[in-house]
Amino acid sequence: MFKRERRDIPKLNTSSTADISFMLLILFLVTTSMDMNKGVDRQLPPIDKTEDQRPTPINARMVMKCSITADNKIVIDDKTIDKKQIKNLAFNFIKARGKEHIIQIQADRKASYDTYFQLQNQIIAAYNALRNEHSLATFGKGYDLCSNEQKAVINEEVPQRISEVYTMSTEATQKGGAE
Amino acid sequence: MSIYRHKCHAIPELNTASLPDLIFTILFFFMLVTNMRKVTVKVKYQVPQGKELTRLTKKSTNSYIYIGKPTAADGSVISNNTQIQLNDKLVNIDEVTKYMVEERKTMSAEDRKQMVVSIRADKSTPMGTITDVKQALRKANALNINLAATNQRN
Repeated sequence: MFKRERRDIPKLNTSSTADISFMLLILFLVTTSMDMNKGVDRQLPPIDKTEDQRPTPINARMVMKCSITADNKIVIDDKTIDKKQIKNLAFNFIKARGKEHIIQIQADRKASYDTYFQLQNQIIAAYNALRNEHSLATFGKGYDLCSNEQKAVINEEVPQRISEVYTMSTEATQKGGAE
Repeated sequence: MSIYRHKCHAIPELNTASLPDLIFTILFFFMLVTNMRKVTVKVKYQVPQGKELTRLTKKSTNSYIYIGKPTAADGSVISNNTQIQLNDKLVNIDEVTKYMVEERKTMSAEDRKQMVVSIRADKSTPMGTITDVKQALRKANALNINLAATNQRN
């Protein structure tokens, strides 16, 4: 008979795997940037190719006119408004006017982007607060917890109607609605 | 005479066999959350802060427009003029439309519908520039935009 040789499987030395993976880990740690892509979603109105745009008749009572002056002051319906009051003002306005309301934003070309963004932020905060209130009344839970169908119902009830006036460099103004 | 028996005091070896697995887990975590920067940003910008933010989800449908002050290679600000950066080069306002149309062509048909243009603009940018960019995007029929911002802490 053949003499069977006892073969031991040689052990693989894996002590350096940790070092290798450490190196990769450090590479990813260094290159990673944790900044989430966050922001405010807006929708632009499509450009109409047809020249004759008939202005739809809108009740002046239903419009809240917000404008940003060149020196970064926010003027709502001819009154200079502090940044903190916008949310309440917009909230009450939307609540009183319902679906037909329109918020009009007009920014001077020299105004800073920051002011414009804060205004947008406050208005969206007002919308979110109102939608939350609505969903609590209808579904008994916050807007965040609603399903997509329920959210669609709420969005139908509280639509975002923001219109922006684009001040072009040629002094011609153009009107456009968002969402 | 001693009560305790003196054993041989060899330090027992620590089993480090599972250490690589642990490290790999952390590694995979970082690999998933990381987003590699594809373009070198040539403008300096600081996005505004806000509270009512939503997250941009799909990476393949996003395209970015950077607006800020131009910087040199070492990161120092060259001038105070506002510049727009698309991909790797600084462009004029009239080129934005052309570029966005090109960008749409490279996307798949499904992505095209959900295309979101993220505008990463500096706080102090004059609104005129933003308005012009918006108009250019309207012309390119890229209607979903996202104004990039960071979360406000208070």
